[in-house]
Amino acid sequence: MMTPATWFGYVFELLPGLVTALQLTGISLLLGYPLALIFAVLLDGKNRVVRWVVLALVELGRGIPLLVLLYIFYQGLPQVSIIPSAFTAAIWAFTWSTAGYGTEIIRSSLKSVPQGQLEAAKAVGLRESDRFRFVVLPQAARIAIPPLMGLAIIMFQLSSLAYVITLSEVMQSAYFLGTKTFNYLPVFLAAAAVYAAVTIPASALVTSIERRLGRHV
Amino acid sequence: MESSTIPYLRAQGVTKDFGSVRVLDDVSMDINSGDVVSIIGPSGAGKSTFLRCINLLETPTEGVLEIGDFRITIGPGHKHATKKELSTLRRNVGMVFQSFNLFPHLSVLENICLAQRRVLGRDKDAARVRAFELLDRVGLSDKADAFPGRCSGGQQQRVAIARSLSLDPQVMLFDEPTSALDPEVGAEILAVMRELADDGMTMIIVTHEMAFAQEVGDRIYVMVDGRIVESGAPAQVMTNPTHERTKKFLGAVLGR
Amino acid sequence: MFLYILQGLVWTVIITVGGFTFGAVVGVGVAAARVATSRIVRIIARVWVDVIRGVPPLVWLFVVFFGLAEVGLRLTAFQAAILTFSLIASAYLGEIYRGGLAALGKGQVEAAHSLGLGRFDILARIVSPQVLRTVSPSMVTYGIGLMKDSALASTIGVVEMTFRANQVTQNTGQGLTAFAIVGAIYLAMSIPLGVWARRVDNRMREKYVVA
Repeated sequence: MMTPATWFGYVFELLPGLVTALQLTGISLLLGYPLALIFAVLLDGKNRVVRWVVLALVELGRGIPLLVLLYIFYQGLPQVSIIPSAFTAAIWAFTWSTAGYGTEIIRSSLKSVPQGQLEAAKAVGLRESDRFRFVVLPQAARIAIPPLMGLAIIMFQLSSLAYVITLSEVMQSAYFLGTKTFNYLPVFLAAAAVYAAVTIPASALVTSIERRLGRHV
Repeated sequence: MESSTIPYLRAQGVTKDFGSVRVLDDVSMDINSGDVVSIIGPSGAGKSTFLRCINLLETPTEGVLEIGDFRITIGPGHKHATKKELSTLRRNVGMVFQSFNLFPHLSVLENICLAQRRVLGRDKDAARVRAFELLDRVGLSDKADAFPGRCSGGQQQRVAIARSLSLDPQVMLFDEPTSALDPEVGAEILAVMRELADDGMTMIIVTHEMAFAQEVGDRIYVMVDGRIVESGAPAQVMTNPTHERTKKFLGAVLGR
Repeated sequence: MFLYILQGLVWTVIITVGGFTFGAVVGVGVAAARVATSRIVRIIARVWVDVIRGVPPLVWLFVVFFGLAEVGLRLTAFQAAILTFSLIASAYLGEIYRGGLAALGKGQVEAAHSLGLGRFDILARIVSPQVLRTVSPSMVTYGIGLMKDSALASTIGVVEMTFRANQVTQNTGQGLTAFAIVGAIYLAMSIPLGVWARRVDNRMREKYVVA
């Protein structure tokens, strides 16, 4: 019969999967966030072609479900003879998605910096790159951090999707465990607990950071 | 208040359209070095817009601007000002805003040093020295390391004035500097501005403070509906206005 | 191939619309529980929302489909998908409502009380219209996200677009084409919806800039 000990045993067996999930999320964010910043800046640039290309990349990253992106890289590329590993395909898909959503967040935060700040920076003679570097970017960063952290938590949850391309993260381990023990419900609840144990404290952290940042400005 | 024969600042035929609305209509003004000039008038008359055209925060639809050696003609067929020209212009023309616009993520000291270092290329120590001089002048030496969020409105505005002065501009523009402050606090700012005027700074002030405009200043311009309807010595304009519209405005404002 | 995949769109739409609608209705209850006078109710609601939102949708799908089957409740993949997404949507939409409610402030309700309006009238005529206007952009954005999440239903066997694309890939090996089609269909839906969302947002902002 199901005992707490057994259940915790399940949780324990899922932990290596958690490590993989965290790795996947971490790397994707590390690659995706800077990409998002670059995209956000390029979108306000002067070159029309660049703007359209970047816009397309962003809209594709946002408009296509992450699951489909995963399949595209893992199951789709082999059609043109590119055969990535599960982890690699996952990184590409997650990075693209992160960059897509991240760009929106960063653009919105750049726009949220009060107009008066830009005017004061102009009036005092700062050139455009200095205006961006010293006045706009620091303030935009403060506005962007809470939503970007929220995005990170969502991406972590979405790492569960990598299960479909046979990446051995939490869900994959859970599924195998389920088929082995036939105790699907407890096993999946154990998986739920593993995720919740990370996301709920993380969300609370984001809320408190949000509050503290709001007080400063 | 000596006047040289050649005006230091000259605006000619400045016109500004926002879509189909003409906000400024052929506004011209000559300002000599050391002059202190006030612009008054009803809201929406274009006073702030005109001020912002002088340092090209707004680009006029048409007009000619001469400030010291800097000259630019704006209009169809003329090139836009280059970034370098804009930078030189703004180095010589300081601006103080109604909403202060201090950089909230930098300390008071850093606010005053940033432009000195990045625009004038002064080194860290020279900038700090100048910053402290200016903070002293506006009476805020003890607030050097504070952040704008912890300063009162009056203090913030004084820091803003110090920040603009840190570039040693030739002209200072004031866009309703006291409108966002309590009357008492506003008086402090006006006192600082009075000192600046006495020290010979060329100043253009858009304001609703009639008493200040009358007492401190060589000339008053009255703007209504985008045009200058009256100009002259403060005493004359305030007590003996000639133009109908001026009378109406002053009547409402001064309660006569 | 295109037509075969396109047929899956029907399921996508049904799951999205169904999940959103049920979620929107139940979400009202969730929001009410979150601001209830009873502390216990508030805490339970808070835990409910945090747990549902803290766990990936895929896990909930599995819990509902595989897990419940174990304790005797055998649902079809379709039923499981609608149920799961409805529950998840109720948590998210409930929070969106709550945010809109908080933004409204007490003043409106107090003014209504002082005019003698009854509870139902206040809710229906004063609070709901304003809250809905404030939160409709967020609701549309969530709806778009839900539509994308519906692709997850393919993992438990609902024969929607992603599922079909998988089948096609296994049969023909033309994965890139198949999934490009799926991606294109999603884009064709989400981009116009996104434009609509922005328009709703702009119209909402306009209405509030009164004086």
